[in-house]
Amino acid sequence: MSLRNRIAFYYTITTAFLIALVFAILYFMVESIVYKQFDEEINNEVTELFTDAHATSHDFTSFSRFKTFIDDNIEVKIDPKEAVKVDTEFIQLVNTEGEVINKSINLARNVLIFKPGETTMIYFNSTINNSAIRQGQLPLFNRDGIIKGYLIIAVPMKKAIIVLNDLENVFRFSFPAIILTLFVLTRLIAGKSIRPIEKVIATAEKMTQPNIHQRIGLPFHHDELYRLSATINALLDRMEDAFQREKQFTADASHELKTPLSVVKGTLEVLVRKPREREQYENKIQFCLMELNRMAQLIDQLLMLARYESNKMNPHIQEVSLPIALEAATARLHPIAFEKKIEFKITGTEKASVTADLAMLDIILENILSNAIKYSHEASVVTITIERQERNILCSIADQGIGIPEEKLHAVFERFYRVDESRSSGTGGFGLGLSIVKRLADIQQIKVGVKSNKTIGTTFTLTFPSTAS
Amino acid sequence: MRLLIIEDEPGIAGFLKDGLEEEYFAVDVAYDGKSGLDHAMTNEYDLIIIDWMIPVLSGIEVCRQIRKSGSVVPIMFLTAKDTLEDVVFGLEAGANDYIKKPFAFEELLARIRVQLRSKNQGDDSLRAGNLNINPGTHQVFYDSLEITLTPKEFALLEYLVRNKDKVCTRSRIIEHVWDIHFDSDTSVIDVYITFLRRKLEHAGCGNLIQTIRGVGYIIRES
Repeated sequence: MSLRNRIAFYYTITTAFLIALVFAILYFMVESIVYKQFDEEINNEVTELFTDAHATSHDFTSFSRFKTFIDDNIEVKIDPKEAVKVDTEFIQLVNTEGEVINKSINLARNVLIFKPGETTMIYFNSTINNSAIRQGQLPLFNRDGIIKGYLIIAVPMKKAIIVLNDLENVFRFSFPAIILTLFVLTRLIAGKSIRPIEKVIATAEKMTQPNIHQRIGLPFHHDELYRLSATINALLDRMEDAFQREKQFTADASHELKTPLSVVKGTLEVLVRKPREREQYENKIQFCLMELNRMAQLIDQLLMLARYESNKMNPHIQEVSLPIALEAATARLHPIAFEKKIEFKITGTEKASVTADLAMLDIILENILSNAIKYSHEASVVTITIERQERNILCSIADQGIGIPEEKLHAVFERFYRVDESRSSGTGGFGLGLSIVKRLADIQQIKVGVKSNKTIGTTFTLTFPSTAS
Repeated sequence: MRLLIIEDEPGIAGFLKDGLEEEYFAVDVAYDGKSGLDHAMTNEYDLIIIDWMIPVLSGIEVCRQIRKSGSVVPIMFLTAKDTLEDVVFGLEAGANDYIKKPFAFEELLARIRVQLRSKNQGDDSLRAGNLNINPGTHQVFYDSLEITLTPKEFALLEYLVRNKDKVCTRSRIIEHVWDIHFDSDTSVIDVYITFLRRKLEHAGCGNLIQTIRGVGYIIRES
């Protein structure tokens, strides 16, 4: 079932139920008002009778008085020729056994229904000669409170029944008509209100990777559909961005791989074109080996990145002593630090244990530290600070280097991004190190921050998640 | 023949310069778009090789600027960009040829020679009367007699023959036969011309190169 049909269906069902309820209540209210009026009429009749007979229902002595009275009373009112005349009231007197003591002559051979055993005035519907009547049945007590008989009074209901029947018919026939109209209208309105969704679907169906720059037109009203469209558009923005970055990455990776390949190939091709001195061969081969090593390094890093990004890595998270990890990393980097006369200074070395994957943490620290060395001025200090901030442990690594321009700071974690655009800068990186750091940090829920100042240097901050203790 | 290579990757620029210099070309190298464009605007080159992805100014931009200045110097793109769109885009920006990385040096060389051919020249060989020059093998024949020349002598003769029936001024010869590191002392040309004349005379065509006093030199077809 389509959405518009479903909306129309549920709406109609609910409304049908409500309408049925309203109709029923209306009907029963009208009916009870009608009956009440008849009952009133019967009561009036009773009062009139007792007044005329100078009696009450509680000092009933004998039927004779009533009998005569009824005879007299009715005879006066009714033309005897019109035997059973249903649009006047009927009176009937019965004893406790139900035997008719007397009845108005307009009843002719008919008898009003008697319900034995009742001790109070009751009203009920009944028929006489197939005509609907309302009956009232009043118990008659003697002075000792014992029921001696019953006075039954009936009034015709013919007109009222016609009204009630009409009402019922109106309800019965209007109900399906209303429901049907409602269904059709709701379906129409629902269709109209979900038309923008159809538009969204149509646009989304046309969307494929080549024309991912397409967007859904926003509806005029700021409603849920507007939000849906806006949300899908935002999603598409992010997807396009991701596609773009993926494309850029592929282009960068292919460039980075093809370049050393071209260098080696070209150098060797030129080398073998002519016979040369032994020294020249050695030089060129050394150069090619260097290029190949660089290429192998790049492939290693690319593979590492691919592995981390495919999320197949399950970090082995454990308690790690941060100072010990730092100590190990700085020791490994000591040779290149020594070459540039760079000194590591670790401060705030309280017993800071963090939850991390030891191997991954090593890679993170080594990458950040080797960057610090690479971009530091000679004979400077790299300051590593460990501090506790609320429940987290912060580790900041600050160099006194060339810094990163503010407008480039946001991009340093992007793959193949290098602050210094010329690849001939001699720092020798591929622009993958910090991407790997970011990815590994994400896996372990470590936050990486960076701030930089051209005169002071660059500071990387690792915020470790709070430990369970 | 003097070439300009605009390539930011020192490894590639390095072997290109080495290899092409061995082929008697004078080669200048620029490592970014801007200095490459400066070189191209201030010096006269016979061919320019440009990498697409270079810092400061992209190769495409450099190519466009060169063409905007009215220069018709042959331009070859050398790049890792290898989709059909890239090739078309590069050629439409004004390049004469397009070589994808990684490439074979021999192919590059052959393509450079194609670009250096003059319009009415069916193959690479150059002729002036009975003198026959083969730039591919660096051989020079007068009739059937081979004349052995040093690289600079060969480059000088090649330039004069390529521009035969035109007066080649000393400064133009310097620009096309020597690279940028040469301080423009034009008297060195006279020395090389003397060497050349001596070798040509030995083979029997001593008066091939004529001096236009105060201007330069010329080789006439007849």
